[in-house]
Formats: sequence, C-alpha cells, structure tokens
Amino acid sequence: MNEVITTYNLSKKYGDVYRVRDVNLSVGEGDIYGFLGPNGAGKTTTLKMILGLTRPTDGKVMVFGKDLKENREFILKKTGSLIEAPSYYGHLTGLENMRVIQRLRDLPARNVDEALRIVRLEKHKDKKVNEYSLGMKQRLGIAMAIMSFPKLLILDEPTNGLDPAGIGEIRELIKSLPQRYEMTVLVSSHLLSEIEQTATKVGIINNGIMMFQGTLEDLKKEKHPAIMIRTGNNELALELLLKRGYTPLPDREFLLFENLSDEQISHVIKILISDNIDVFRIEERKKNLESIFLDMTGKGSSL
Amino acid sequence: MKLIGIELYKLRRKHLFPMIAIFLAVEIAWAFIVTGRLTARNSEIAGWESIIAMISSMNGLFFPVLSAVCASRICDMEHKGNTRKMLFALSVKPIKLYAAKYACTSLVLFIAALLQVLAITVFGIACNFERSVPLLLLFRFFTGTVITNMIVTVFQQWISMAVRNQAFALTSGMVGGFIGVVADLFPQHIRRVFIWSYYTGLSPVSQLYMDENVRFFVRDTGSLMPVIMVLIAAGIGIYLAGSIHLSKQEV
Repeated sequence: MNEVITTYNLSKKYGDVYRVRDVNLSVGEGDIYGFLGPNGAGKTTTLKMILGLTRPTDGKVMVFGKDLKENREFILKKTGSLIEAPSYYGHLTGLENMRVIQRLRDLPARNVDEALRIVRLEKHKDKKVNEYSLGMKQRLGIAMAIMSFPKLLILDEPTNGLDPAGIGEIRELIKSLPQRYEMTVLVSSHLLSEIEQTATKVGIINNGIMMFQGTLEDLKKEKHPAIMIRTGNNELALELLLKRGYTPLPDREFLLFENLSDEQISHVIKILISDNIDVFRIEERKKNLESIFLDMTGKGSSL
Repeated sequence: MKLIGIELYKLRRKHLFPMIAIFLAVEIAWAFIVTGRLTARNSEIAGWESIIAMISSMNGLFFPVLSAVCASRICDMEHKGNTRKMLFALSVKPIKLYAAKYACTSLVLFIAALLQVLAITVFGIACNFERSVPLLLLFRFFTGTVITNMIVTVFQQWISMAVRNQAFALTSGMVGGFIGVVADLFPQHIRRVFIWSYYTGLSPVSQLYMDENVRFFVRDTGSLMPVIMVLIAAGIGIYLAGSIHLSKQEV
C-alpha cells in the first residue's frame, strides 16, 4: 500500500516544552486513520504541521510521497481539511461561504450542491452562518473540506458540537469516503468510541509522544489479557508470590497478574497449592480498547 | 486578481459602501457649507482653490477614520471566523492574502476619492466659479489624496491584521484623524513624520492667513515630488514589514 502521509521524527517545541516529539506517523492510501489522544496531547499541532500551518521544530513531513516543504501547494490542492473549530464568514450565508471556497479552488458549481447535500445543509444554505447552530457550522466546515473531493481529507475532531444523530451521520460519511471517492481520511478525536467504529488504523498520542500505531487488532494484541486468581488467603498468597519473583496486584477479592505466560500460571498455582493456599477461581480478563487507551494515556477514555 | 474578486465578494452584507457614502456625504456637505460661508464673506477668494483646500483639510480628519473602518471591516472577518487557517490550508499564500486585502481597501478608498473629485466639480459648476474646471488641479488633488490614503491604509491594515481586537485599529484611526487636523499647526520637520498630515501636505493648494484673511496658493508640483518619493518609500517599507510579520505568524 502506498503511503499518503509519512512523518519522520516530527517535533514541535514552544519555548522549552515539546508539544510534539519525534512523531512518526504513517497513513496508507485508502486508510481511515484514527488519531487518538486526550485533549492537549498534540493532535492538532501534528495535523497543523502536516498541513504546513505550523512550522516543525524538527523532523520531516511527506505527503503523497513528496516533501511538504517543497511541494506545499501541490499537496494542499489535493487535500481537504477541517482543523479545530470550523472556519466561516458569519455574515455570509452557507452557500456564499461555499462559493468562496469554490472560487478559490476553481471548482464546478455542482460540487457545492453535492457537498451541501452530503452534510444535509441544502435547506439551510441561504441562512447566514452566524445564525447556524454549532452543529450546523461543523457540518458546513466538513462540506467545505470535502467540496473538492480531495485525495486526502484531514478532520480534526469533526463531531464536536454534533448531536448523537449528527455524530452517527458523520461517522457513516467518513466510513463511506474511501470507497465512494477514493479518499484517505485522517481523523483525530479524543473519543475512543468514535475512532473505534470508523478507523482502519489508529495512532495514539499522549503528551506529544506517539504511544501506539497500528490496526485496532494490533492494539488489542498489544496488551496481554490479565489473569485473576482468587485464593482462600490473598494476603498470604501475595506475600509468598512476591518472594518468588511475581508481582501480582490486589484487585478486590482477586490477585491480578499482567503478562503471564501459560507456564508461569501453572507455576503460580503449584506454589499456592504446595503452601496449602486454596485456589477458588482463575479468570482471564481481556482488556477492551477503552482500558487499553486508559492505560496508554493514563487518563479516562473520553477527556 | 482572483483573490481581490473574492475579497470584494466577501464584503457582501458588510454595508461598507453605504457607510462610505454617508461618511463622504457628511464631509462634503460640511466642506461646501464652510466654503460657501467663507466665499460669501470674501468674494475674492471664491474659486476652485478654496474648495480643494477645504476638502484637503477635512480629509485629514475623515480619511484616516474611513481608512481604519475599511481596513478593519476587511480584515476583521478573518479574525471573527478564524478563517486564516482555512485559507492557508487551501494553499492561499499569506503574502497574497495581505496584498489582496490591501488592494481591496485601497480600491474602496480610491473610489471615495474619485467621488470627492466629482462632488467638487459639481459644486464648482453649481457655484459658477469664474474659471472652467481645473482638471490638472483636480488631478493633483486626487493623486495626493490617493497616495496619502494608500500610506495610511498600509499602517491601518497592519494593525487590523495583527491585533484581533479592532477597537485598537479604530482608535489608531481616530488618533490619526486628530493628527491629520492639527498637524498643520506643527513645524514642518515634525509634521513630516506623521503620515496623516499629507492630506494637506500633498494638496496642490495651500492656505495662509494674511492680514486676518485667508489666502489660497497653488503649490508647485516640483516641490512636492521629493516628499512624495520619500512617502512612497516609507509606505513600501511599512507594507513589507506588515506583510512579512503576518506571513511569519502561525495560525
């Protein structure tokens, strides 16, 4: 698969603080790449650097196989984007806002109609954007981004301000774009649920550092299931196992073991039995994506 | 050209042109009333020179404010809608956007100056001034006004684009208007520093008070040329500084 976006050690420093550090992003053609991270993790800064809106302190951005520094105009002509809050001219109508972009990009009028239809704004196109709700402004921003049906679409938190029905619609729209228009989509979010249902590949960033990159399946595999053992005397069992080099964590009435192989489980049970500690229950607890995300970012799944 | 067209398109519903028309109407009406009274008292000074000098003098007050309002309206829409990042992501170059906005404001003020020339002509004909319409004098007045407007706009646009809060730009326009009115009271070497003083400084007609009477004199074009050159060079310098400063700003 051809790489549409590749970044090499992309870094951005403000003062002495790194907002983004050595990020190596890799988005393949036709991917829906979910860029996940809590607020302030460095998602928007990374996306801005990919679009050339912010100059990296260090590192390199390649888009469509070309260096962004030297081919910015070529790249941006094939890219649609919505960064942070939607941009609009509030005193103009939705349609007039679209016409501004249409004229800037030299697009045919039918693209305006098609994009407005996709985001369901046809009926409100003659209303001033200042009178739009936040959700409508967001949809207008998406319409402006997809209007040229670009090869690459970059959406920064596109469902901000949308109601549940709107979120569902945008999710379905994002899912359909690669097939319908052969687009590659890079979508950022702090909502795991949003990414989980649309992305074919994810990247998790926290405190400006890339924590993970791969498919959702890879992410699930990244963390081995935890083993939970309930004994007749957890305190004694803990003491005993610590002496033998294991590091279980007390978890309510269980002892929790991370990353234990089958042989190690067998060994732990043997130790407990040989010391006359009753073993009542052995459970495998598989981690869902939410808890993996929580582990990686050290925060809640929606922050 | 495409960007200038888009800038003009974006001015829809901004009510910029009616506002300019009202502003000019007030200024011109005021100037005509004052000139009418002045010439009624002293018929010797009635003529094209008096009305040109009067309008030039009032331009020192009105045009800095008008320039501030126009530049502010044209630039503020990018701040309000957070549209600069959208435009730059559409491969619009910051330098070109700055130039298009400048051209748009200058064009609006060019039309305003043109309307003033037309109004002066109509006033002169209506007052039956002795000589026929002095085209060269009017052209020199128009050129001086347009050049000063362009320099003042360079300054106003920089402020309007750099500072989100447009109260700052509008205040600077009002301060400019004040300086434009009182600048003639300063010694020449101080007056030359203030760009707002050139509405009267580049006027083809100067006025002097002699024997408690006002007298109007037509200036020699040659004497103004070095001043115009320095002014244009300063304008280019301020423009480049503003454009480079804003193109380096991250959005």
